[in-house]
Amino acid sequence: MEIIIDGLKQGFQLIWSLDPEILQITLVSLQVSLTALLLAGIMGIPTGAALALKDIRGKRAILNIIYTFMGLPPVLAGLIVYLALTTRGPLGQYQLLFTPTAMIIAQLLLAFPIVAGLTARSVMSQQQEVYDTAVTLGASLRQAAWTIIKESRIGIIAALTTALGRVIAEVGAVMMVGGNIQGSTRVLTTSIVLETRMGNDSRAIAIGIILLAIAFGIIMIINTVEKRSFKYASGIQIT
Amino acid sequence: MQAVFRLHKVTKRYGTREVLNVEDLAIPGHKIYTFLGPNGSGKTTLLRIIALLHKNTTGKVEVLGEEVVWSKEQTLRLRRQMAMVTQTSFMFEGSVSANVAYGLKVRGHKGNEVKRRVEEVLDLVGMTSFIKNDTRGLSGGERQKVAIARALAVKPKVLFLDEPTANIDPRSSLEIEKYIKIVNEELNTTIIIVTHNLFQARRLADQIHFMWDGKIIESGTSLEMFQSPQDKRTRLFLVGDAVY
Repeated sequence: MEIIIDGLKQGFQLIWSLDPEILQITLVSLQVSLTALLLAGIMGIPTGAALALKDIRGKRAILNIIYTFMGLPPVLAGLIVYLALTTRGPLGQYQLLFTPTAMIIAQLLLAFPIVAGLTARSVMSQQQEVYDTAVTLGASLRQAAWTIIKESRIGIIAALTTALGRVIAEVGAVMMVGGNIQGSTRVLTTSIVLETRMGNDSRAIAIGIILLAIAFGIIMIINTVEKRSFKYASGIQIT
Repeated sequence: MQAVFRLHKVTKRYGTREVLNVEDLAIPGHKIYTFLGPNGSGKTTLLRIIALLHKNTTGKVEVLGEEVVWSKEQTLRLRRQMAMVTQTSFMFEGSVSANVAYGLKVRGHKGNEVKRRVEEVLDLVGMTSFIKNDTRGLSGGERQKVAIARALAVKPKVLFLDEPTANIDPRSSLEIEKYIKIVNEELNTTIIIVTHNLFQARRLADQIHFMWDGKIIESGTSLEMFQSPQDKRTRLFLVGDAVY
């Protein structure tokens, strides 16, 4: 217990003193995970919505593949990206391995199925009456589809927050394709592993606190942006 | 004769089950027309076909003088001249004002024009004070009034009402019926109502089509239908429902 309390104390001191290395690691983490989340959103939301709304051949099979990849182990995602980017791999010529770009690709592989799969589920769960109401009020098919997506926004935000939680906390993929290089590809999660192995418990705890604070902060920002959705969400009241 | 709706040998099937079979029907327009009948008699299916929400399986459907070919362009153009209010009107997330403005915005209207029209129709149904309210806090009757305002905002030639007062109390029902009358008489809007509420049909309808087992088995004015129904099934329904 003492080790944890000491670790927490030292951890807060490190954060308070704005330790340059921890600051740099935090920035790399944010850059990698937020870029991966942004790309996953750009690709995943339209994919999920299209799968839910369009009559695409093989739709069920595609959805099953996406749902399966939602549980993709990070090390496996890392391995896939590693094999693609290694010098003998199909994308080896671009020399991306052990760069932040490789880490973004690996995290995108983890985040995309979550965003696409949960968006598809959220849009599919909308009732027929959303579409009917939209078209009987004169919406074109495109406008009606957009309305359905807008009505699904709570589910889509949940998809994004789930994906963020997944990528910011994962260690296996970024370790494999990033290599945990100091000043370049070292991120919060890989630092925790490294510092713990080196016996620097206080630094590990400090980084852990930052990791939690970042996740909390980003989710608060997303919630604030979509405050109306949550404000008006019909909760279940249990008495 | 020019009719707002005309159906010829129209059927609707789900698999092998036929839920609608209308030999010939012409609705001239500008009055209040009611499709009356028990649950499962095909009235909502018929309504959804003429509202261009469901495709008919066979037969010819004419809407606003045009034979329906179900092209995207035609469907959108015709739908934009009609509006619908259902039993449990769905409200988009957000305010009353945003909901009422929806139909105007998808038609490309903007700014003050939308604001003015929203205020106008909310005033018509006595809901002006709710303009900024969130729709989630509305009662059943208030929701239906907002739904009617939302439908009227786009100045439809035809207003479809599918069991518009089925889930609300008698006082609110009467209030909504009052607005339906106003819309028909003052705005000259053709009103098509689907209901199994005999008393409502009697109060509102100029013309009643009685449906049974997917078919229109009797048509006539409100007076004819209630005073001297010709078909045995119509008589049975009128007597049976009178229990309520």
